[in-house]
Amino acid sequence: VTSGTVALSDPRRRRLRLGRVEPLVWIAPAIAVVVFVFGYSMFQLVQTSLRFEGHWTTDNFRITWSDPTFRTALTHNVRLLIAVPVLVLLSLLLSILLFEGLRGWRFHRWALFLPYVLAIPVIGVVFGQLLQFNGLVNQLLRAVGLGGVAQDWLGQPRWALWTMTAVIVWRELGFGIVLFLARLLSVPSDVFEAGRMDGARFFRLHRRITIPQLSGVIVFYVIVEAITMVSWVFNYVYVMTNGQGGPGDATQVTELYIYQTAFQYQAPELASAAAVMLFGTTLVLIAIFFRVQRSSGVGLDE
Amino acid sequence: MHRNLGLAVVATLAAAALLGSAASAARPNTHRAQQDPSAPVNLTMWWWGEQEAAGAKNWLAQTINLYEKKHPNVKIKTVLQTTDGLIPAFKAAAAAKKGPDIQYFWGGIWSLDDAWLGNQKPVSDYIPRSELRHYLNAKEDTYAGKVWTAPWYVQPSFPVLYRKDVLAKARVKVPTTWPALLKACDALNSKGITPLAGGIKDGWFGGWLYSIIGAQGISSISDVLDATTGKQKFTDPKHAAWWIRLQELRDHKCWNDDMNSLELYQGQQRWAQGKAAMTVTAGSDVKKFVQQVGVAKVGVMAMPKWGRGPYAGKLGSTSQTVGITAWTKYPQEAADFIMFMHKPERMAAWFNTTGAFPADDRFKTKLIKLPQQKILFNLVKNGAPYLENFIPTELDSKANFAQSQLLLGGSIDAAQAAAATEKIAQRIRLTQRKQMANFKTWAQSYK
Repeated sequence: VTSGTVALSDPRRRRLRLGRVEPLVWIAPAIAVVVFVFGYSMFQLVQTSLRFEGHWTTDNFRITWSDPTFRTALTHNVRLLIAVPVLVLLSLLLSILLFEGLRGWRFHRWALFLPYVLAIPVIGVVFGQLLQFNGLVNQLLRAVGLGGVAQDWLGQPRWALWTMTAVIVWRELGFGIVLFLARLLSVPSDVFEAGRMDGARFFRLHRRITIPQLSGVIVFYVIVEAITMVSWVFNYVYVMTNGQGGPGDATQVTELYIYQTAFQYQAPELASAAAVMLFGTTLVLIAIFFRVQRSSGVGLDE
Repeated sequence: MHRNLGLAVVATLAAAALLGSAASAARPNTHRAQQDPSAPVNLTMWWWGEQEAAGAKNWLAQTINLYEKKHPNVKIKTVLQTTDGLIPAFKAAAAAKKGPDIQYFWGGIWSLDDAWLGNQKPVSDYIPRSELRHYLNAKEDTYAGKVWTAPWYVQPSFPVLYRKDVLAKARVKVPTTWPALLKACDALNSKGITPLAGGIKDGWFGGWLYSIIGAQGISSISDVLDATTGKQKFTDPKHAAWWIRLQELRDHKCWNDDMNSLELYQGQQRWAQGKAAMTVTAGSDVKKFVQQVGVAKVGVMAMPKWGRGPYAGKLGSTSQTVGITAWTKYPQEAADFIMFMHKPERMAAWFNTTGAFPADDRFKTKLIKLPQQKILFNLVKNGAPYLENFIPTELDSKANFAQSQLLLGGSIDAAQAAAATEKIAQRIRLTQRKQMANFKTWAQSYK
């Protein structure tokens, strides 16, 4: 009994002594991994971006920023951000439908989540075939008399980026649905019962109860998907355009630009400058989200 | 606070992961220990070629088997690369100074670019000149008096294949001049036949078209090198005319309507399936297509003539090569294997297996039996330099690949394509400062 009492009281005393430093102690192993694995790369990256032929210079940033292809790539990443609210709305809608006990919901949940577990190269190759000018999608459109709608979805600059956005949405949707559904299932059922007893119907119920309950995961999902659109779409573009970002530079994105500049055009100093700028953009984006999260108080109580 | 710190760690990891690759391209290199001749030798060869010379894989396996029997201490492992992955994979290997001992290179700039970057040892340091002088098209891989990569097989670049049966059915004569080609396009279209089949989604075909159409407008290869370094402009008529020709092909609806959504090889298959009258293929692939379609049905020719330059009406001639990497511990053994690939028996086996001509003047031409290959051999014997091998790969990709996609897709016209090319060239002069200096030196050897 005596030793048990000591065991209970000791950690409490230690915790008190650690005070505000305690969180840092808990995440220290993760920080050590980050520093060990990525710290050197980051240092090299910044150093490379500031050097040319043995001299320190900011020219690499100036040259990269003046490159129309780089600016186009950045613009495309920004355009891809449009997919984030679409993803949130669709995920919300579909997860609520599944939560409401849609007939055959288990099958629907599986079908909606399936794309997320498929490898991106597989998705890229399959959609690359389906969306050819004479591919299955256009064949179906022509068969039902909608030949006028048929386009060269990935072959025309006007359509290529939007088509790619649609494919990305199709795949990333599964993640949002599972995330939202898991949170919804953890909300005590009496919360919804109370709402219903107060006369709330479908839209009011979900607007007043479901969305506030989901706010934390919604913010998390928005952050993850925004980072995906800014700096994690390389695989989609590479596979669907054979590493070109074409037609022309219609689907060029910053990651592909960095990859091509470093490994195809052998200009690591310019690729590093572009990577530092992308890193900066991503950090700004994260900071904005944290600020929004803090000012609205969303998710802080969970 | 816990939550924010956790998210920050996740975010940092995500951002840092995508940046890692760029940094690794610039990592410092270390030299390995010198070779030990008595120790077992393990060589790795990264190659490409099965895609354009069907049967190459079997031939290479057989050749390695024979070589290993003769040299029991040597083991050679091969890695067949994809078309899109060949160059980036090697650049990544070069950044790490780890990977192949023997590497496949296309000719000209595709080979010299890595020589300039210090990624290769010159083959002429390990293969005797008496042997090297037999290798065809080695000049395009020569810089500063050294041959950097060894020609393996000749790539006749690039013949037009036509289907005699399809043309005859449409009562269209084989077009040998540009006006005749445009007329043929109109006539074939009026009968519902696609005149030319191609695919440009992966971009490569843009480089081919530049070479086989653009070569007809210039007076020598130094024109191209001078335009690259800024002595001439890509908007000058001799350099820009090919975009006008390409626009003419588009306007006469010479190509399949889904050209922008097909890859190079997918486009060629349309022709093999009888869905088009003509296509452009790799010379090394002619045998495969002839056998697929039927000897009596296939004709072969150079791109119809429009220019008056010395290369008009001629086929480009280049050789696909293999080189010795800068970091290999066994350069002499690698060179020895490359020479083994040129043994008369191996060359004969290569030709019989793939139908591609070995890049060696000791090759017994009497082995050529197929009529189409005889025509091809004569064309390539009097061939011209292959243009795409003499411009920076970045210019090729951003101008020829990308602008061809836009022009053939109807988004831009010839003048816009030429202007874009010159703009890209100007930018490359700014960003590829070291490469431009090498280009200027290289240009001197073609004056």
